[in-house]
Amino acid sequence: MKKALTLILALTLALSLCACGGGDPKPTGSGNEPSAASSELNIFMWGDYISETLISDFEKANNCTVNLSYMSDNADSITKLTAGAGDSYDLIMTCDAYMESLIKGGYLEQLDHEQIPNADANINEAYWFGDNRDYCVPYLMNYIYIVYDTERCPIDITCYNDLIRPEMAGQIGSIDGARNLFPMALIALGYDPNSTNESEIKEAYEWLTKFNENVVAYGATQENIVNGTISCMLTYDGNASWAMNELGENNTLTIAPFTSDPVQLGFDLFVVPKGAKHTDLAHKFLNYICEPEVMAANLVDFPYSCPNDAAVAAASDAYRNDPAFDFDYKTNIFFQKDVGDALAIYDQYYQMLKVGE
Amino acid sequence: MLKREGTRRGKKRHSRLPLLAQAGPVSLWMILFVTIPMLFIIYISFMTRGTFGGVEYVFSTDSYQTLLDVVYFKVIAKSFQVAVVTTVLCLLVGYPFAYYIARKPPEVASRLIMLIMIPFWTNSLMRLNAWMLLFQANGPVNHALMALGLTAEPIKFIYTDWLVMLGLITNMLPFAVLPMYSSIEKLQKSMLEASADLGAKPSVTFLRVTLPLTFPGIFSAIILTFIPALGIYTVTDMLGGGKVLYIGNIIKNQFGAIRNWPLGAALSVLLLAITALLIFIYMRFAKLEDMEVV
Repeated sequence: MKKALTLILALTLALSLCACGGGDPKPTGSGNEPSAASSELNIFMWGDYISETLISDFEKANNCTVNLSYMSDNADSITKLTAGAGDSYDLIMTCDAYMESLIKGGYLEQLDHEQIPNADANINEAYWFGDNRDYCVPYLMNYIYIVYDTERCPIDITCYNDLIRPEMAGQIGSIDGARNLFPMALIALGYDPNSTNESEIKEAYEWLTKFNENVVAYGATQENIVNGTISCMLTYDGNASWAMNELGENNTLTIAPFTSDPVQLGFDLFVVPKGAKHTDLAHKFLNYICEPEVMAANLVDFPYSCPNDAAVAAASDAYRNDPAFDFDYKTNIFFQKDVGDALAIYDQYYQMLKVGE
Repeated sequence: MLKREGTRRGKKRHSRLPLLAQAGPVSLWMILFVTIPMLFIIYISFMTRGTFGGVEYVFSTDSYQTLLDVVYFKVIAKSFQVAVVTTVLCLLVGYPFAYYIARKPPEVASRLIMLIMIPFWTNSLMRLNAWMLLFQANGPVNHALMALGLTAEPIKFIYTDWLVMLGLITNMLPFAVLPMYSSIEKLQKSMLEASADLGAKPSVTFLRVTLPLTFPGIFSAIILTFIPALGIYTVTDMLGGGKVLYIGNIIKNQFGAIRNWPLGAALSVLLLAITALLIFIYMRFAKLEDMEVV
């Protein structure tokens, strides 16, 4: 017995450190009672991503309790949705890249747009795409673009191909992930950023090996550009905003003045899982967050790019003058689409990139 | 007659109770939270990847066939390399340290042990961030070096192998020191004296008496540092800049962004197999019971 226990204990050690990222927060509320007028709304989303005032105001106005539980990774919400999350949650945050699979898989409830007039009235038409409109409401969004330090960066960056020039060696910091890196390479090569063609993905891999040689580190881009480790970064606009504000009057960072290459735009959006119990309150909540004043107040705490035009117009001067959102090619964008089984091809080349074939 | 029977039975039941009370909870715990999940991991490693994520319960050996790809071999080789270097350095740093502690009076020794444990009261990510802040271009270490005139330009410490090693060793050192300490502490002084009396030089005594007698502790230290070091990826990601993938990264990615749970499970099974092999090798050398897991 002791032998067996020791063996198991040692084997457990092997897995314990791999399991660090697998946080699975439990819902804070439990009530799933089928009710006529719901008094409870269970939301699963990123932590520290919505104003507490917004939540408490909504609770007061609708005489209900909102239970928030938090994801630690985009995959968390996919796991929940595909496992059938309707018993536990009424609204789940996910991102646009997964929408096609979620709709095809039948994991989502269709939305009743008559109940969410604010969403239709205020969200810019450019940010509804395809069938998604029937199943989701965009919350906030993020651009993935290039920012560089005008004083320290050896060259001016105007397109993705500038990033693989030899002068940029040891200058670049980047966000990580196959589906963030490959689209950039595919565009640089003139292909569809969501290509499922293996030979194109392979070429993109070759492009990325050159990019990889110039990269100092993946992750922590904003800290690294502020503390002087890098002079150029592929990053989210929220990170750039943090870095520019951190540097304050000494800010020499600028958003790369791209002339033709599009930049990636991603959405964090709310969906209603199939079989959700409190769909009436879920619709009320979606409508509530699309009210211009409500979202404008939310943007004070969470100054990210917002698809709600009326809210942006009503937002504070500080938000509207944030240099991280001040660039003129905001509509020259591409979306990360669901590439289905081609994800495995991306993964294979991503691994080769990081292993250094 | 009957009465006596009753008492005997009562006694018998009584004598089983302590064993059940001692081993019961831990066995239940291990079965529920270790054995069953582990069996489940093995089970899903033989299933099919769901198109929209998750697992389709259709038997397949695809995941294991994927593992034959040379890229995984390279990843495992790199992971091994890091784990071996970490383990060797932990032993080299940890053994003298454990020896030093073991030779101190008990109250001093317990304080020294406490000092090793204190950093572990904070989250490991916090500790890694602290290393980053200390060593970054405009961090205190570089400021100090420049103030002392030792360097004119900030030295690039972060995202170097050097810092990754420092992070790994500080993360793993207690797992190496504690079992070796417990082994060295048990070492009888009379043995060393006998060796000296018989004319052995201190170096000979160390190599032929101390080292063999503390071998169980050393091997425990090897197992306890090597296995976690094999699966670790947070240290290399944060201090190394995430430019290299290790087996831990790949497993994490399969369960996360890539949504290929069967492959992630198959990689985990591979890691388990490697670990089991190590334990097996150990069992050839010594009894498992001798393993000095404090």
